[in-house]
Amino acid sequence: MNIQFKKGVLELCVLSLLVRRDYYGYELVDHISKFIDISEGTIYPLLRRFRTEGYVTTYLQESQEGPPRKYYKITSKGKEVYDELEIEWESFIDGVNNIIRGDFSE
Amino acid sequence: MNRAEYLQQLKIALQGLPNDDLQDILYDYEEHFDIGLSKGKSEEEISQELGDPQDIANNYKSSFKNYQNETVYNSNNNSSNNSLRTLLIVLALGFFNLVIVLGPFLGIVGGLIGLYGGAIGILAGGLGSFFGAIIGPLGFFNISINFHPLTGIAFGIALTSLGILSLLLCVYLTKLLYKGAIKYIQWNLDLIKR
Repeated sequence: MNIQFKKGVLELCVLSLLVRRDYYGYELVDHISKFIDISEGTIYPLLRRFRTEGYVTTYLQESQEGPPRKYYKITSKGKEVYDELEIEWESFIDGVNNIIRGDFSE
Repeated sequence: MNRAEYLQQLKIALQGLPNDDLQDILYDYEEHFDIGLSKGKSEEEISQELGDPQDIANNYKSSFKNYQNETVYNSNNNSSNNSLRTLLIVLALGFFNLVIVLGPFLGIVGGLIGLYGGAIGILAGGLGSFFGAIIGPLGFFNISINFHPLTGIAFGIALTSLGILSLLLCVYLTKLLYKGAIKYIQWNLDLIKR
């Protein structure tokens, strides 16, 4: 799949997971790679960019097993971006589907 | 690739980023390995799933660069915008002038020089005819001209007048061209400065 396209989709996926609850990095990666074929390593650069742009904040939390985990929490700005991306995505998919299925009038 | 090799490669690929950022980034991958191992995956498996360290480093570097550029861009938004615009105008004007304006301009200048030559030629001919007709009979030059000296004088006067007229016309045209060129250059400069 086209890399730029994948990146955009990946942003939407990460944000839509974070809208529901806080995740730590590994969990996010694990969740997304279950459904989409990606290089898992590319999610961390994305998360880092989200943090510099103020879409998410991070905090460390101890776990029963292993070292403390870095959790990601979405900000209100991140939610706004999510809403926009989501609408964009829906209309894009609608458009593509219309074309693919041919249910449009010339 | 095992964990140590993977992290080493990533670290090498990330060289150039500030050290704080580098440590921060590597920490995320350390954590990823830790958790992956605790879930029963092998180091090789985890490396495999993470993907090429060079690709990942490029991801970081491009977003880091974008962020920096954006900051710089925002802080002097106007000037950078304007200088870019000016540069584009200079380039466009330069191209336009070179391709479309320069040729005709040189042509006109050439034509004007030709006219000067013609005018001076006519003037010289007129003067020659005039003085030749006067001086000829006095015997300084032994030129046999088969027409009456008065004809020569009249012809000389007419030709001289015509020469002077053409010269005046040339000077007028030169002034016109000069003014036009100045205006055109001024217009170019205005476009660039605006």
